Amino acid sequence: MWWSDLFTDMSPASFFNFSFLPKYAAFFNRGIEYTLLLAIVSVALAVLPALMLALMRLSKNKLIKGLSGAYIALFRSTPLLVQLSIIYFGLFGVIRIPRYSLFGFVDLSRFIPGVVALALNSSAYVAEIFRAGILAVDAGQMEAARSLGLSKWSGMKLVVLPQAIKNVLPAIANEIVTMVKESSICSTLGMAELMFGAKNVASSTYITLAPYTLAALIYFCINYPATKAIEAIERRMRRGDKQ
Amino acid sequence: MATSSEIIRVEHVGKVFDGGITALDDCSLSISRGEVVAIIGPSGSGKSTMLRCLNLLEQPTSGKVIVDGVDITDAKINLDLHRRKMGMVFQHFNLFPNMTVKKNITLAPVHLRLKSQKEADAAATKLLERIGLADKANAYPAMLSGGQKQRIAIVRALAMEPEVMLFDEPTSALDPEMVGEVLDVMKELARSGMTMVVVTHEMGFAREVADRVIFMDSGKILEVNTPDELFDRPQNPRTKLFLSKVL
Ligand SMILES: Nc1ncnc2c1ncn2[C@@H]1O[C@H](COP(=O)(O)OP(=O)(O)OP(=O)(O)O)[C@@H](O)[C@H]1O
Ligand SMILES: [Mg+2]
Repeated sequence: MWWSDLFTDMSPASFFNFSFLPKYAAFFNRGIEYTLLLAIVSVALAVLPALMLALMRLSKNKLIKGLSGAYIALFRSTPLLVQLSIIYFGLFGVIRIPRYSLFGFVDLSRFIPGVVALALNSSAYVAEIFRAGILAVDAGQMEAARSLGLSKWSGMKLVVLPQAIKNVLPAIANEIVTMVKESSICSTLGMAELMFGAKNVASSTYITLAPYTLAALIYFCINYPATKAIEAIERRMRRGDKQ
Repeated sequence: MATSSEIIRVEHVGKVFDGGITALDDCSLSISRGEVVAIIGPSGSGKSTMLRCLNLLEQPTSGKVIVDGVDITDAKINLDLHRRKMGMVFQHFNLFPNMTVKKNITLAPVHLRLKSQKEADAAATKLLERIGLADKANAYPAMLSGGQKQRIAIVRALAMEPEVMLFDEPTSALDPEMVGEVLDVMKELARSGMTMVVVTHEMGFAREVADRVIFMDSGKILEVNTPDELFDRPQNPRTKLFLSKVL
């Protein structure tokens, strides 16, 4: 390509020595796809358990409340890398996933443990998002529902949750952005996401820095516009509420 | 008063909140079918707590609340079933903001399988016509004025065909020019024979519509009488003091 010449005089340690690109672009393309798949699938899987954890956390029953609290505390107070390693070597050391390849580049024997670990971790955070969202709904809504003869659960399901979920959608979208970044840790266990692609390119080309610069640029170009879009949607939602 | 027509009996009800505040102190009361009872008293005297104990939105810490002959403070009864008999109207309306007016009205009757959606829709239309808001059936609460919201909150409760209606300062959050339209709906309801318990600061309404007025102060029922007696010849010194300030 015409621009390949631009890099010929650059040192292997240069920030922008992207001369590896013509040959290794696929590593990055695949990496982006893998990263997005990891982030979206893990948050999607986290939503239901998180909702359950949040409802448990708001229960009057001390045991139920405590169980959920313990889970949330455990996953929020230990590093993701540690959780990932324990789940990968511990849980999936026992449960063997066949080496089946999805879309030609997603090795399920690595992808599933990674997604499970990220989803378990994310559910602790999303649970707190849901809890805050439920508590933010005016208590009068539940009282009105109960005064009409609806049970606590019906009031929650029909009246409170629909309002809470609408309010927490931006926060959940932000959780996906967080996961796009956090999932880079999966590279340590050989999951072929974006960071792993960058590492691979760096070690096969001896261009030590630029693959990571490119990875940073890509992460930024995904997350920054996404964050801005979420903020804009949030502003519009708030304006809508005030009417 | 004939006891056979009694619908609510409050027996020695007390309520101490978690923080240690005594909101109700040994309150007893009997309400007959078709009766309109107004509860008045200074701020913090326990009026709302009293009203909320009637449908157990607030759990009394002592005493009994008997509705239609059933002690609803008994943990073994199905409270949701008994709450259906009592509609409640709140100071801040508490309409469901994410639902249309019609959905607000039909949600509970349909979900509880008391009516099909079709029957509930027809009933909602009739109720909305009764308060002159039939054209708002598909509007969302945010598009309505305070007075309209409160009238819809009233018919939402009526859609459950309750035997008693409880009102907690239904006009306190309204602009003055909207108070009248809500009071008119309540007056019409009273004339139709509905049993009503109304916590209110509207002394004119209490005098005109109530059969009995209850004066509360510091968690106690201090005086119960007909409006004329209570307003014109208050017996308790604290009733006198309160009335001298508000009338
Ligand atoms: N959920 C609660 N927790 C703790 N204390 C409460 C709670 N609700 C009410 N109280 C207290 O109980 C007392 C009675 O309150 P209540 O709301 O019944 O009074 P009120 O007569 O309705 O007053 P107002 O006219 O201001 O509405 C007050 O001292 C109040 O601070
Ligand atoms: Mg009150």
